[in-house]
Amino acid sequence: MKKTEIKKILVLVVEPIVFGLLALLFIIPTITVVNLKPITKSLKELDVLGLSNKAELQITIVGGTHQIFEKERLEADNGTYKYTTTLNGRDSDRYSKPILEIVNNREEKTTLEIYGYTHLPTNSDITMIINDQVYRLQSPNGDVQTQEILLLPQQKYILYLAIENFSNVQFDEDFELSIKEI
Amino acid sequence: MSNLLKRALKNSLVPAILMIAGKALGIFILSAKYGFPLEIGNDIGGFFSTQIYFQDPDITYYVNSVSDLIMLIALAIPTIYLISKTALFQSSLKNPKTIVKVTKFNILKWITRNDTSFLKTFLWSAFLWVCSGLIIKNTISGDTYIWIGITAGLISIFCGLGALKTFEVETNKVYPSNSKYY
Repeated sequence: MKKTEIKKILVLVVEPIVFGLLALLFIIPTITVVNLKPITKSLKELDVLGLSNKAELQITIVGGTHQIFEKERLEADNGTYKYTTTLNGRDSDRYSKPILEIVNNREEKTTLEIYGYTHLPTNSDITMIINDQVYRLQSPNGDVQTQEILLLPQQKYILYLAIENFSNVQFDEDFELSIKEI
Repeated sequence: MSNLLKRALKNSLVPAILMIAGKALGIFILSAKYGFPLEIGNDIGGFFSTQIYFQDPDITYYVNSVSDLIMLIALAIPTIYLISKTALFQSSLKNPKTIVKVTKFNILKWITRNDTSFLKTFLWSAFLWVCSGLIIKNTISGDTYIWIGITAGLISIFCGLGALKTFEVETNKVYPSNSKYY
């Protein structure tokens, strides 16, 4: 094979790779900057041995980015936690995301009263999942159910929010989750 | 491999690095200067899942806003410089008054060498558009000050027009307007 032919083949192979590299030079900084966006999370109070020393219930937001769950916020007011998020317009399907981390640092059991609802009815079935157990928050007809969750002492739980709809949802909706210790 | 691709790849490296560095340094410098406690974690799985956490929502809002502004400035200054340089160079070819003014401000170097190509201006503008897009998205989701979002929008429009003007100048070199011949 002649030298010029080898060069031609090499150019054919290398050029798409360079195109890909050029695209990556735009994609990587964009993803990095999106991930560098700081989020609010209460930091653990650590003692000299690096252990948490506060015997209380800790609820923190997991955060991160998700296609459907956006603008997540967690506010605490007089022992009641209010988690809010915007559920983006979506195709009919089931979506879920870890939203809250609940830690019971106490030496005794604690029960939480949890209820959540959307401000507009969109025929969505909204549930939460804790330790693979599914709890319904809002049924497709809009009925809201209050759930009571028992937290064992010194245990950590990840609360997942799951949403399922059988028809496409064209608009965004606000979802609110209220958590109270009883 | 085409020269255009090689040059595009070479010219994209600096703005890509500046974009990440502007955001990251903005967060870390602010945290170090004001002593904001921050935590780096990766509670969500997958690639690029590293998150920066702050304790207070107000601090998160402030740090995110200022780091967005630093990233915007890091990309906007070189882009505006490139556009101004091209505009001054073109103006000096037609108007001797510009040369006098440029000499007065001691920036004669800007018009003695036409080393600013459309490709360079376009690539810097493209990174600025991406950066502005991210800032506007953050502003809409309530994570950045509104005035920073408006500034980002205005700068990206201005730089877009500048890049368009540079493109016009480049195309005039290839296809000069008819009026030049009469």
